[in-house]
Amino acid sequence: MIEKSKKTKNSRLFGFSKEEMLINLPRHSQCSPNLLFKVQNTSESILKNNGSQFARKINQMLHEIFRELERNRQFTRTNLNNRGVLYGKITLSHQNENELLKFFHDRFPNCFICLYNTFKNETITMNEQGRFQKFQVSLDEIVKKISLNRPITPYFEDISMNNEEIFQEFYSSQFIASRENRKYFKKMIPKYAMEMPGMKGGVENRFRNNLLDKYIKTTK
Amino acid sequence: MVSTLEKIRILGENGKYDICASTSSSRSESAPNLFGNTPNWIGSTISAGVCHSYAPDGRCVSLFKVLFTNKCIYDCKYCFNNVCKKRVSFTPEEYARTFMKLYSMNVLEGLFISSGICGDADETTKQMLEAVKLIRFKYNFRGYIHFKCLPGTSYYLLKEAVQLADRISVNLEAPTKEILEEIAEQKNYNTDIITRQRWLKEIRNKYNAKAKKIIYEKHDNQNSAEIEPQQNFSENYLSFECGTDRASQKINSEKGEWADEWGITRRRTGYKKIRWDGAPILNSGQTTQMVLGAGSETDYDILKRLDWEYREIDLRRGYFSAFTPIKGTPLERKKATPLEREHRLYQTDWLLRLYHVPIKEIKEILTMDENLPKGDPKLHLARNYFGDNGKIDPNKASYEELLRVPGIGLTSARRIIQLRQDNYIIKSRSQLHSIGVILKRADPFLRINGHIQTTIDAFKAIQVIQ
Repeated sequence: MIEKSKKTKNSRLFGFSKEEMLINLPRHSQCSPNLLFKVQNTSESILKNNGSQFARKINQMLHEIFRELERNRQFTRTNLNNRGVLYGKITLSHQNENELLKFFHDRFPNCFICLYNTFKNETITMNEQGRFQKFQVSLDEIVKKISLNRPITPYFEDISMNNEEIFQEFYSSQFIASRENRKYFKKMIPKYAMEMPGMKGGVENRFRNNLLDKYIKTTK
Repeated sequence: MVSTLEKIRILGENGKYDICASTSSSRSESAPNLFGNTPNWIGSTISAGVCHSYAPDGRCVSLFKVLFTNKCIYDCKYCFNNVCKKRVSFTPEEYARTFMKLYSMNVLEGLFISSGICGDADETTKQMLEAVKLIRFKYNFRGYIHFKCLPGTSYYLLKEAVQLADRISVNLEAPTKEILEEIAEQKNYNTDIITRQRWLKEIRNKYNAKAKKIIYEKHDNQNSAEIEPQQNFSENYLSFECGTDRASQKINSEKGEWADEWGITRRRTGYKKIRWDGAPILNSGQTTQMVLGAGSETDYDILKRLDWEYREIDLRRGYFSAFTPIKGTPLERKKATPLEREHRLYQTDWLLRLYHVPIKEIKEILTMDENLPKGDPKLHLARNYFGDNGKIDPNKASYEELLRVPGIGLTSARRIIQLRQDNYIIKSRSQLHSIGVILKRADPFLRINGHIQTTIDAFKAIQVIQ
């Protein structure tokens, strides 16, 4: 069973408690022992009130951590091979690897999960027992190596293979032309996708002369 | 031979007009494991609630919303199926496998299974149930499934569907019998739809009473012995293995609450006191959908029907679909219903369902033709309720009064009450803003620390005096 998130249920509504700050801040890539010491010696009421610059910084850092985790949960596209290895690519700058792996482990507890972090150029894995490991090897190599030691399972063979084509077909079939709302659609595209390396305004750099609107399906 | 991809394209286009929740998380961690104790399960409804992809209309595509078949014996005048030239069907195996493939890609959150009626409602439902059973027991999927019940389905099939799905819905399509006859002559409003809704309520309550009894017994014996894992889970999926909280719903007779035959506490209005009752079976309850503008219904007809459904059927919520004329259908020349009507109805439904505003009060704000007026219905209700000069003090107003103020929602009203219990007095507008109140809407109805927002007329009068 997945561990409960370190963020309490209503933390977003009422702000983070000092305890939550001290637990989660070390996961931020720019967190230092000095910063933690400073948080420890500051009263909770000051930290919770966004009036001071320090509190704003701390809260912003915490939001960055959880936002990144949530985005990766939502937009990581995975593949499953016939030997029960689930793999995909992620972009994590903070230390959220364990949390993300646990999320996938919770959904696919009988699969070996391999995720390649494009930001840190490393592959993180979690086996069926929930054991977490890190490798400085490419994703293909790891998947190949792990798959060798695992038998072909008919159960996975049934649902494996590249399903991107199926999803594209399904996705395009769901659009209702009379309800087209380009402004809302563009609002719903995650900023993460817009700000990805090599992208400008949601469009790849090599197509920089084109705007995103060109690629949104139009009815008129 | 039609390929799976083509079937997805055709049946996906036919199924996209069905409306359902875009995100879903139904069971909690403490809920019983309904589908056996196999270690090879896939999927979760506990950590659900994430949206993955948005269509260009801004809707989230997170459920596999593809019809099982588009062969249909009915010819409803508004339906997209009428003009579909190619008739195709999935096989249960194909449907289950395709869904699981997409789920393994982390692009879907769950399944929404609906269908045209091929031959007979029972026959089609059997096929749909077979697909769901394969998903549940062959692929061990434990995620969210929304099952669309077809009009005219038999009782024994509904019983089976209730056990397998997280949510079930029967489409009303129209608020009254007469209006349904206008747009779908072949469907019988009372026997095909309302009776099925009543059955679903009955089955759900019956199963949950039985399930809770088992859970409580096991919960009581939990300290003495550990429960053995189930072996034959597919045959015995109605037996439970872990306990849930024994939630007691207290009856507050001062507020006019009462308990029905199933022991469910109800408000004075007849609505359930606790909407999300944590029932182990069919946790997400029953929903329905209505087409707006295809018939001659008014907004009041729709709201009246919804009010009845909330009281009698224990509907979790209703969905509305604004009518769009489709070329080739009998209603192709009818004007499309503006999406604003849909939006206003959703707002009013919210007021009915969560704010518990009586339908009588809503009737007072309707226009002469019994439709909702332009603008936010809550604002119209507030003007009626508070009058021209009525303003309330957030430090003194009751919870019900606070809810009447536009800009104060359920959460902010609860926070204000909580602060009052902690002897905290609201002295300024900025404090209300930090609580979450939307001041630009709430200001005209509030008196904060003796100060009120002035009106343009009053402001001009002061200037003249000066």
